Amino acid sequence: MITASTTMTSTSSLDKLYAILRRDLLTAVRHRSGFVVTLVGVFTELAAFYFLSRAIGPGFRPGGIEYFPFLLVGTGVYTFFVMSAQAFLSAVQEAQQTGTLEVLMTTSTAPAELVILSSISAFAGNLVNLLVYLFAGVAVFRASIHANFFSCVAVLIFSLAIALALGIAAATLQVAFQKGSALLWLLSSGLWFLSGTMFPIQSLPRPLELLARAVPLTYAIDGMRQALLEGQSVTAIAPTLAVLAGFGVVLLPLALAGLSLSLRRARQDGTLSFY
Amino acid sequence: MDRVVFQSVRKIFRHRPALFNWLGSERAGETVALNNVSFSAASAEVLALLGPNGSGKTTALKLISTMLLPDAGSVQVGGFDTRRDPGRVRRQVGIAVAAERSFFPRLSARENLDFFAALDEVPRSERAQRIKDVLSDTGLEEQADTLVMKFSSGMYQRLGIARALVKRPSVLLLDEPTRSLDAANTAHFWATIRALARQQSTVLLATHNFAEAAAVADRLLLLHRGELLADRPVGDEESAEALRTFYFRMTGEIDEAMGAVHRAGRTI
Repeated sequence: MITASTTMTSTSSLDKLYAILRRDLLTAVRHRSGFVVTLVGVFTELAAFYFLSRAIGPGFRPGGIEYFPFLLVGTGVYTFFVMSAQAFLSAVQEAQQTGTLEVLMTTSTAPAELVILSSISAFAGNLVNLLVYLFAGVAVFRASIHANFFSCVAVLIFSLAIALALGIAAATLQVAFQKGSALLWLLSSGLWFLSGTMFPIQSLPRPLELLARAVPLTYAIDGMRQALLEGQSVTAIAPTLAVLAGFGVVLLPLALAGLSLSLRRARQDGTLSFY
Repeated sequence: MDRVVFQSVRKIFRHRPALFNWLGSERAGETVALNNVSFSAASAEVLALLGPNGSGKTTALKLISTMLLPDAGSVQVGGFDTRRDPGRVRRQVGIAVAAERSFFPRLSARENLDFFAALDEVPRSERAQRIKDVLSDTGLEEQADTLVMKFSSGMYQRLGIARALVKRPSVLLLDEPTRSLDAANTAHFWATIRALARQQSTVLLATHNFAEAAAVADRLLLLHRGELLADRPVGDEESAEALRTFYFRMTGEIDEAMGAVHRAGRTI
């Protein structure tokens, strides 16, 4: 029989993160066709980029890098950012539609903690996709890389705060105006164009190049190219890491403050489960 | 000591038309969901919020759970204000919402409960046993490892109750908890709720079923169009009958029901 208790218990954030990761993993593996579709998508996209780079020819070497590896890293990191934010946003939208969001907001876990842990899980899932993407690019399409493992890890870690901020900003707009998808579409189009995904930002007109230098993803992609394709050390890419850290320090608290405000407003207006 | 305190609570929902409203017929306006409502609930008390649809019952439960914030007045749980200390309030409150599908469809009942228990900070060492207990109490033992996407409405509802119970809340909020349950499960459920109250939990139940409220609650709060019309203890049979008459007279529900019977009679 159930016994009543007012005892406040505490489990660590790691325990909660484990629960969220487990939920997302179980949900993913039970969508049996999901993995197949993702894999087919990865290979189709890589094949398209491979043949595009062949069509352009070996003479085009942005920043001295072969074009296919340049594309591989650019699109891989870009997709990691955008798809992670999309996955997180979809989870929020689905929770609104089923009424799960309201229930989640009444658990003992603070909303900000819940959102950060959930977004970490979304990004962890897409990190696996990024690794598969890069591995397939190297193993199947023979992209030449000269990786510095520690530099790659450093770029990923320093980029994570920015990626989390992007996902949280989309969730904030979803809760506040039910328009997170619109923001993400707008941002993803702009980021794709401005962050040097497909071509070096130096090709852009000067005003757009300056705008591109204000986009955090530009530095994440640039840093990963330096680490993965040129094998540069952590010390060598320190300036890029410093810029990424600066963006993270500013953007993540801003995104969390925005989310906190939008959740409070939704509780006041009774719109938490609106979608 | 009162565990839940509503003080002069007012809650209004404002409707803002869409940007291109000229395409549709939506109008701006507001609905007063609760108007200057005050009441309290003590430990070991089962309190029924009774009223027809739109009377403000669910809004009251959502205000206690921190899903909503009041526009005026205050809501306190265990001495903590829902606006100033929402975290401490949430640790004490378990809610079974009317939204049946508020679960992760590709997780089993046990996996769903385990997930919510983790977020409710139930210690890992106790989780499995507590989940087993609540599955037993809600009659879901046999479906424990079935994906909830295969559940019926009644099973979803029982799982919602199990989720609210697994954190062992000191305040349990139930929104139309037996709406999709059959008679046997309903009876078993009410026995569980009474047992919980005996162990010092406070239970607040929103329902429009007078007979059910009178059978299980210690006190009835009669809500109608956001106003608290009555706050009466459930006593002997005579006072229950008087309250029943009062309820149907105030809400007009019996008139509508009788009218429907008369109309059906004429047609037949």
